[in-house]
Amino acid sequence: MKQVKVFLNEDEIPRQWYNIQADMPTPMSPPLHPGTGKPVGPDDLAPIFPMNLIEQEVSTERWIDIPEGVLEKLLLWRPSPLCRAYNFEKLLDAPVKIYYKNEGVSPPGSHKPNTAVAQAYYNKVFGTKKIYTETGAGQWGSALSMACQMFGLECKVFMVRVSYDQKPYRRLMMMTWGAECVPSPSDQTEAGRKILAENPDSPGSLGIAISEAIEDMLTDKNARYSLGSVLNHVLLHQTIIGLEAQKQMEKIGEYPDVVIGCAGGGSNFAGLSLPFARDKIHGKDIKIVAAEPASCPTLTRGPFAYDFGDLAMTTPLLPMHTLGHDFVPAPIHAGGLRYHGMAPIISHLVKENIIEGRAYSQLETFDVGVKWARTEGHIPAPETHHAIAAVVEEAMRAKEEGKEKVILFNWSGHGLVDLASYDAYFSGKLVNYELPEEEIKKAMETVGKYPKP
Amino acid sequence: MSFGCNEMEKYDRLEIRCPRLGGEVTFAYCKQESGNLPCPRIITCWRAYIPVEAYLKETLTQEEWNRCFNRPPKGKVDTIFELVEAAKKRKASPP
Repeated sequence: MKQVKVFLNEDEIPRQWYNIQADMPTPMSPPLHPGTGKPVGPDDLAPIFPMNLIEQEVSTERWIDIPEGVLEKLLLWRPSPLCRAYNFEKLLDAPVKIYYKNEGVSPPGSHKPNTAVAQAYYNKVFGTKKIYTETGAGQWGSALSMACQMFGLECKVFMVRVSYDQKPYRRLMMMTWGAECVPSPSDQTEAGRKILAENPDSPGSLGIAISEAIEDMLTDKNARYSLGSVLNHVLLHQTIIGLEAQKQMEKIGEYPDVVIGCAGGGSNFAGLSLPFARDKIHGKDIKIVAAEPASCPTLTRGPFAYDFGDLAMTTPLLPMHTLGHDFVPAPIHAGGLRYHGMAPIISHLVKENIIEGRAYSQLETFDVGVKWARTEGHIPAPETHHAIAAVVEEAMRAKEEGKEKVILFNWSGHGLVDLASYDAYFSGKLVNYELPEEEIKKAMETVGKYPKP
Repeated sequence: MSFGCNEMEKYDRLEIRCPRLGGEVTFAYCKQESGNLPCPRIITCWRAYIPVEAYLKETLTQEEWNRCFNRPPKGKVDTIFELVEAAKKRKASPP
């Protein structure tokens, strides 16, 4: 019988997180305080985060011990299984072995609790009584709600109203775990009241929700704010995924040629990839791919492929020539869209050519996500589809090249609370409109005539 | 070729999955995600489906365009500091 899953015993769970800042080929620039223009110091962050997490945020120690109190909670679902996707491999009919780290086994169904538990623990130790945060569809809010409940902390989540109305299940998960979930904009903050005064039906945004969370947090000296992605300490906590994966692959005598994760803010991608990025920095021949969303229909019909625009990371997604199409990138693409919300560590590693970024359109990712569910059974979160799309691309490349490859990716969460998205896809509501080719061509010609902004 | 408001309103109900929120939103939402300004990702997300870039160039002023698309991206820590300062100001002088 073929081995499908590779487990670690509970006593084999990693005891330390890996901090890639110790191994960066070049040092990262510290964030500057917008008021003083000087590098941000721990004291600047103290009103927002507990000092023990701030120390991790600025640490350059390579290994940081995972407290027993954190491990006790992580053991509820960790170590997560490393699985071999035999059925998906068969579908692809390519010379690849596909392994995935199943992070959908956590109670909220995603990788997010890996840092939520750690952050709640450190806040508890620090003396925080209440944690504030914002959430979009609720993946982070639900994870933090559970973690706060585990450590006896209050939790208040400002949830973007459009999601609050659309996504009752994660809101109910938050309530079940004892958190207060408030639709944003709300009448509980000056920021929210101002928005509501201008537009009582405002659907909200992440920008408004974070404003409300921070404003409300500042009214309570025993409260702190928490973020589920982007920051260094968040990525640090997620490295347990990749550290487990390294042990699991070693158990079966494998090492990946390609490591893939989906990248929104970068935390699940970083979680799997950073320990492998360390290997790459030290000479290992490995490709590390961050898959992220874009509407560009590279496989279905469009002439453009997206790629990173420049190495200085000041530019966003740039359409690059494909299929010989003579397209001049419009100036808007030099404006910085790409890196809104991307973790600085990930951006820095792209700049250092340790990681490469790729973008996939939502329709192609849903297509492969459904194929995954129909072969492997597990229904992926729509974010996870992007990683699967990159897996397919790598597998097809291996087939073309006639090379065997071992692919490892982060199956970052299940999609059981996102079935409305699947419904939107199946019913054709999810951008089922596409311009006729001729109209796109005309539009692009029109755009090209505009002066540069 | 013109992409005026009336022309584009037919797209307002189209849905796309928002990579920031993690759920479906309409084009109308993306057009006003940042208050009266579009989401900075709107072109990245929509350009393959509708002539969003040309439309925005017609409907936004140069200043709005620059505010929306031509500012360098801020780091998360920068954003948080700005929000803290803004919250303190609001508390100091409520409307």
